[in-house]
Amino acid sequence: TSLTIQLASTGVAAAAVVNRIAVRGNKRVDADTVRGFISIKPGQNVTDADQDAAVRRLYSTGLFSNVRISQSGGTLTIDVEENQIVNQVLFQGNSKIKDQQLSAAVQTRPRGAYSQQVVDADVEEIKKAYVSIGRSDAVVTAQTQPIGEGRVNVIYNIQEGDRTKIGSISFVGNNAFSDARLKQVISLRETGILSFIQRDDVYDPDKLQSDEETLRRFYYNHGYADFRILSAVAELDPDQNSYFITFTVDEGERYAFGNVRIDSTIEGVDTEALYSQLDTTPGEVYSAKDVEDSLVNVTNALANKGFAFAQVTPRGDRDFTNHTIAIDYVIDQGPRAYIERIEIRGNTKTRDYVIRREFDISEGDAFNQVLIQRAKQRLEDLKYFTTVKISTAPGSEPDRVIVIVDVNEKATGEISIGGGYTTSGDSSGPVAEVGIQERNFLGRGQFIKVSAGVGTNSRSYQLSFTEPYFLGQRLAAGFDVYHTETSTDDYDVKRTGGDVRLSAPITEHLTATIAYNYKQESYGGDTGQTVENPDYPTDPDQYIDSTCSNPDPKSNLFDEGGNPLTAPSFTDSPIINEAICAGDYRTSSASYQFTYNTLDNNQDPRNGFVGSIGQEFAGIGGDAKYIKSTAKASYFNLLSEEWDVVGQLSGGAGNVSALGGDLRVFDNFFKGQDIVRGFDTRGIGPRQYGVAIGGENYANASAEATFPLPGINRDLGFRGAVFADAGSLWGSEFANEAGVEGTDFSLRASVGVGLIWASPFGPLRVNYAHPLKKEEFDDTQEFSFGFSSRF
Amino acid sequence: CTTQEVLNQGYIVDPKSLELVPPGSSKEQVLLALGSPSTKATFDNEVFYYISQKRVRPVAFLQPHLVDQRVLAVYFNKDDRVERIADYGLKDGRVFDFISRTTPTGGKDASFLGQVLSDTVSDTGGPTSLF
Amino acid sequence: CMSGGDNDVDVLALAAETDPPDVLYNQGLANLEGGRLGEASKKFEAIDRQHPYTEWARKALIMQAFASYRGGNYDDAETAAKRYIALYPDSDDAAYAEYIVGLSHYRQIPDVTRDQKQAAYTATAMRALMERFPDTAYAEDAKSKLRIARDQLAGKEMLVGRYYLERRDYLAAINRFKNVVDVYPDTRQVEEALARLTESYYAMGLIREAQASASVLGQNFPDSPWYHDSYTLLKGHGLEPREGASGSWFAEATKKITGAS
Repeated sequence: TSLTIQLASTGVAAAAVVNRIAVRGNKRVDADTVRGFISIKPGQNVTDADQDAAVRRLYSTGLFSNVRISQSGGTLTIDVEENQIVNQVLFQGNSKIKDQQLSAAVQTRPRGAYSQQVVDADVEEIKKAYVSIGRSDAVVTAQTQPIGEGRVNVIYNIQEGDRTKIGSISFVGNNAFSDARLKQVISLRETGILSFIQRDDVYDPDKLQSDEETLRRFYYNHGYADFRILSAVAELDPDQNSYFITFTVDEGERYAFGNVRIDSTIEGVDTEALYSQLDTTPGEVYSAKDVEDSLVNVTNALANKGFAFAQVTPRGDRDFTNHTIAIDYVIDQGPRAYIERIEIRGNTKTRDYVIRREFDISEGDAFNQVLIQRAKQRLEDLKYFTTVKISTAPGSEPDRVIVIVDVNEKATGEISIGGGYTTSGDSSGPVAEVGIQERNFLGRGQFIKVSAGVGTNSRSYQLSFTEPYFLGQRLAAGFDVYHTETSTDDYDVKRTGGDVRLSAPITEHLTATIAYNYKQESYGGDTGQTVENPDYPTDPDQYIDSTCSNPDPKSNLFDEGGNPLTAPSFTDSPIINEAICAGDYRTSSASYQFTYNTLDNNQDPRNGFVGSIGQEFAGIGGDAKYIKSTAKASYFNLLSEEWDVVGQLSGGAGNVSALGGDLRVFDNFFKGQDIVRGFDTRGIGPRQYGVAIGGENYANASAEATFPLPGINRDLGFRGAVFADAGSLWGSEFANEAGVEGTDFSLRASVGVGLIWASPFGPLRVNYAHPLKKEEFDDTQEFSFGFSSRF
Repeated sequence: CTTQEVLNQGYIVDPKSLELVPPGSSKEQVLLALGSPSTKATFDNEVFYYISQKRVRPVAFLQPHLVDQRVLAVYFNKDDRVERIADYGLKDGRVFDFISRTTPTGGKDASFLGQVLSDTVSDTGGPTSLF
Repeated sequence: CMSGGDNDVDVLALAAETDPPDVLYNQGLANLEGGRLGEASKKFEAIDRQHPYTEWARKALIMQAFASYRGGNYDDAETAAKRYIALYPDSDDAAYAEYIVGLSHYRQIPDVTRDQKQAAYTATAMRALMERFPDTAYAEDAKSKLRIARDQLAGKEMLVGRYYLERRDYLAAINRFKNVVDVYPDTRQVEEALARLTESYYAMGLIREAQASASVLGQNFPDSPWYHDSYTLLKGHGLEPREGASGSWFAEATKKITGAS
């Protein structure tokens, strides 16, 4: 029996009750802290498993390089060897990447354990960080500096070297598109003068991969269905410190669409009606994008007809001999899934309903990818978010799905300070503008902007506000209030006014706007002019005032036509002078406008049409009584894909006719440089003694072609333009007044060239236009210059 | 081209599958044929509701308005067999104004005033063992 | 040779700067008293850095969490508190550390129209505190904070429910309101949820359901304005609230609210 007792005792001893825990070998870490880490408490009997758990726990703290637990009698002894503790992590010699970013990249942390492998891994990590910003030849070394009591400082020394450039990007096997054209398609750029600003010449393996994908899509959208990239290689030449990238491609044949069919496995689907939804017409060049658009349109049409779960999959079969691809759109029943919940996340500023209202589908509806895609597009168009990600998660039932909308918001408030120089408009010369704008006011999706502008002789203040979902409908209602003061050398004009507007999308491309506008104009009439006193012609300080109320005190003043003065001669035209003296003038009008816009890109259009037509009825109270109708349209077309030449045809016309009573001269159109380049701001149209008095009708047309400047790297953003303008301004009530000329229709025309630079500071355009047909009394101005920047 | 857009929301009724669930069929048959219900309620025993609405948006900017609403209520008896299926249409609905009052909630509002939740932490003071 | 770089301090100088921990600690406390929270945090942080893993470091860490919380930088407070819990799980201040984590989230709860993830974090943290340290002084306040956070989450459900109800999207609205009654029966929002359910069912013509939800509301909150409105709504059309049988979901909901089950 003693054996068993002995066995039992050792067994028991192994599980003896612990009444004291001793800690040995700890120099800096307190014994209590070590005891705190392990779950063994005095008075507890300790099994091997407890000991193992304690050892693992102590190792996991990372403070100890070696841990041993042993038990003799009632005391449990823990022997530890402490790791060196990192006191401070320092980076020396880095300026391109800040310390903060580097310390996020490295594993070694202050207060953490020091280990050589981790430090070596950190060195590699820092090198990788430098490669990603285009400095592949950076040299990184680590150094440790003990500071006593088992603590050490870790210092990473970095020599950053200089920027690794991209020497050249070349393509092999491309004969459909030139190297220059393909270089435009991919995002990587060869290093150029402006690269230090745009930073798009930094080589990075992920960028190369995404460029491969962009190239594929480009070729698939231009008919090359068999396009393959054989290799995309970037060699680093260390002594030149730059990369040489070569894409080797096999374009294959160019395909056109063969015949196109729609088949449906769901009965009750009228496939004939769906053909109109297709973008893929037989004979046309094959394009993957057209196929995708057709899928969306057909699915959408099916959803409209109640087939919410229909799924459309395209099947193409190639005809290798005559290079056509026949597409068969197969409609079949997709899974019957319903949306259980729409979870919106990440909106720390935007309110929930501002996002939810963009969804045409709601919880409980059939899961429809097209409508979700449309909502995603609408959310992105709001420009409140940097990214909008919509994902799905399984719902509580097999046929239920939870739609998760993850947005991350960007700052939508902008303080903009803009400068510019313009030769058009009343106030030509340098112009500055300061504005505060918030596009997502209080997260409610409302737009508000306050801005003030100042020019050499003009000041303007403006406030505007828009609520995009007025009364819950998709109606954008808003108002603007403005005050402008311009003082030309003859007279100054103060305009104060505002409008209340409501605009609504009728269809995807057509928008209608109605507005009420109020404007109060006052012309600096009362100050009048100071003229010589006839009684003392030589005495310089003897002056008399010619004012609106008493224009010719000494009745010795005559206008250009030799008739007695009817108003102070602010300008040479008595009509204008009388209008100035007419004093304050109120215009209260209602207006409507239809805009049709199918441009592919509003800032830099290459294809599409934009046009608007509208009318303004002045006469609801106020002094002005007229109907003003205007229309304008522009059509853009990419003339040559190869040379990126964009053609633009535009035209415009307008008429203003009085409603009872005669038209005030300032209600006329004042046209010039804005419709026919090469003329001054109010350069054409009816005049009296050389002063423009505006016209009741105008019409203009213009043809222009813009193209990248040959020989200059396209990335610098330079484009040339050649254009021809023609137009006229005619018709005036003052036709038979003395000294009035040019009131009947006479075409003015000009041809010209322009230089456009989309500079990093803002768009700039310089035009030189030479008038071909003009009237001798027109004011010409061959050279015009417009530059505006907002930073 | 009509600018009208039709939105079929909620449960998509498939008349054919309705015939598969005559009175007396089991709950599993209903789930198989009609899918899981839009919402459930229990009275004496469970009721499945399949709710579908049809909306028309005449012009792009108007909110789609309700043109048709159908509620299929599948009433089960004690041993989970279909007792009857009721079909409520739009005409059964009542139109009235909903209560405008809302239960107050807290949280810092984005508005400049910023109503902050009443703060009760100050009275419990800091950590006990530290001072 | 180590020149350049923006904030390079002389490495050797750093080594000399170690003050005794208790001095630093008292300076930290003094700053805390004086309301100079930034300074206090720096002092506590210095202890933690110069004398890592000592008893002083432990006390400094919890004080740093407290100081950052008081100073309003809730992220630092949360990280410091979480580090404390990881290092010293069963020390006596672990409860307070958990409490700081909960409070840091609690302070950042936005109004219901915006993402309520902070309310959710508050709820989890406070629930963890009540489970692990049921009898500490903070458990009481944690309970009330938990209720407020849950009320906030319920408020969000109600907001979305009302959004759909306004657009007469009854299906979506009903499911949201039912979710409030099922998941948040213990919050103030449940009264309104039941009233909205009555409205939604009634608007769809499901009279029995409308009566049943009104009766649950009546039983549990007889003098609530919401019950009064639902009653007038149903009475106005000649229908009194009538409770469904005992096994019904509505009866189930009553039990949940009254906590009888």
